[in-house]
Amino acid sequence: MALASISVDAVLLALKIAFLLLLYLFIWRIVRAASREMRAPQESFVLAPMAERHEKRAPRPGTLVVISSPDLEEGQRVELTHEALTIGRGPLNELQLDQDDFTSGKHALIDPRRDGVWVEDLGSTNGSFVNGVRLTSSRRLLPGDVLRIGETDFRYER
Amino acid sequence: MSARTRELGLLTLVGLITATGFASVYIARQNEISSGSLSYAGFFFALYLVAHLVARLTVPDADPYLLPMAALLTALGLTEIYRLNPTDALRQGLWVVIGVGCFALTLVALRHDFRRLESYKYLFGLSALALLFMPALPKIGRTVNGARLWVHFGSLQFQPGELGKIAMIVFLAAYLHSKQEVLALGRLKDFGPLLAIWGCAMLVLVATHDLGSALLFFGIFLAILYLATGRLLYVGVGLTLFLVGAAGVYETTAHVRSRVTIWLHPWTTQRLPCHTPHGIELMTRQQCESYQLVKSLYSIAQGGFFGTGWGKGTFALPNGNNLIPDLNTDFIFSALAQELGLVGIAALLLVLMLFVVRGFRVALQVDDGFSKLLAAGLTFGFTLQTFIIIGGILRIIPLTGITLPFISYGGSSVVANFILLAGLLLVSQRANEAR
Repeated sequence: MALASISVDAVLLALKIAFLLLLYLFIWRIVRAASREMRAPQESFVLAPMAERHEKRAPRPGTLVVISSPDLEEGQRVELTHEALTIGRGPLNELQLDQDDFTSGKHALIDPRRDGVWVEDLGSTNGSFVNGVRLTSSRRLLPGDVLRIGETDFRYER
Repeated sequence: MSARTRELGLLTLVGLITATGFASVYIARQNEISSGSLSYAGFFFALYLVAHLVARLTVPDADPYLLPMAALLTALGLTEIYRLNPTDALRQGLWVVIGVGCFALTLVALRHDFRRLESYKYLFGLSALALLFMPALPKIGRTVNGARLWVHFGSLQFQPGELGKIAMIVFLAAYLHSKQEVLALGRLKDFGPLLAIWGCAMLVLVATHDLGSALLFFGIFLAILYLATGRLLYVGVGLTLFLVGAAGVYETTAHVRSRVTIWLHPWTTQRLPCHTPHGIELMTRQQCESYQLVKSLYSIAQGGFFGTGWGKGTFALPNGNNLIPDLNTDFIFSALAQELGLVGIAALLLVLMLFVVRGFRVALQVDDGFSKLLAAGLTFGFTLQTFIIIGGILRIIPLTGITLPFISYGGSSVVANFILLAGLLLVSQRANEAR
């Protein structure tokens, strides 16, 4: 009888541990699967009116200040908007550098996104450089970074 | 792996958890090792397999985690109810079957486009009001513990407020979606609907003496209003109005006053007059008005870190009477806390939280206004109801008897929550098939 009651207790203890472990296994599986799909749209579920006001209130993405250039004046400020901006020698660029002989037709793209301002080289001949490092993929600009397009140097400021 | 296959895997895990739980209760009760209880778990698993198959046919791309979480919560509730009283568990089991039936019916009926509900919004609004006020009617309403929430026809009893909640959410989502652009302007005359619904909430409060339902309805309304307009001003004004109204009811209603006193001062050292069936006697408050709350707090503390284990908790007096009244409905949280301990109850709270996260995620993903408001409203209703009852039990807010979704004993609650689940899955299906 004593032996039987001990084994009942042992079984209950084993079941109790198993129960808690299974419970946390369940939670872990849901959390793990859910964290994999974090790339879902992170927009708000407040409907439209608020979203528009947010747009207006959002801070400007920053400014490119000309340090030295054969084309633009030193100290000239290029205010960035939320629209993407291309730099190059051709007339279709938002920022045209037609006096800079080292600049390609379509040279680089400045792309302000939610998480900062990104710069991308558009396959230029002489390349684009951030702080002296040639761009191989798009890169986020940090305040104080120096961007070199052809022979023109810009400093990125917030 | 498709969403439904993932769901099936998780449901199998829930089946295992249920089997472990039921077996523990059974062995602790009989004091012998037996596998007799496994048929319960088997039945339970079969039931959810049916729910899964219906979901596979009607909402193949919907969120795969909501149904398993609901299944787990129901299983935990049913196991605890079985442990407290096997007869109640049989009845609750029947209600779960009906609940799954309503879940399937909702999915099948609305599988093509649930958004046509939007055109019946006033029908939903009126049904919500009718359901809310039903318990206040003289012949069929019934007062339990000072609050008038029950309706009975012969031997059949239910709480119409539970279904009223769902109807109310559908109405508010549709109504506020159609009016959101006007309301977003925030002009003085746009406060009209706010005042009207505040008036309704106060009337419900006065008619039923139930602070919890009034708070639940008004809270759902404010949440959907905020989501539709993005104006915090409405929330501020609404909450102020609610506090003013609640203070008024506090002044005039002894029942509400007593709830607040119990919340702030459950223990007294001197004896106070207490109404008992034998007349007025002198007792400390913990023996009298706050007996239920205090015993429930002791029950939670008794569980410690790892709990007493299924079937080992102390819930009955030596003479066999229940130690805590309403243990299987309003207070099932403290029963579970004692037997599962902090570790187990934390897991339960995590599952409730994950359910909320998934629900809000559905609202984030779907792209049309009505669906967004509907999913967010349903999820918020679930969240607030859970907070009101658990917060009440843990003395964060005054205690008002309301059911813990999916877990508490009670047919109307189970059925309403399964319909809520079906609603979330329908919106989720819409969000996922669009991309």
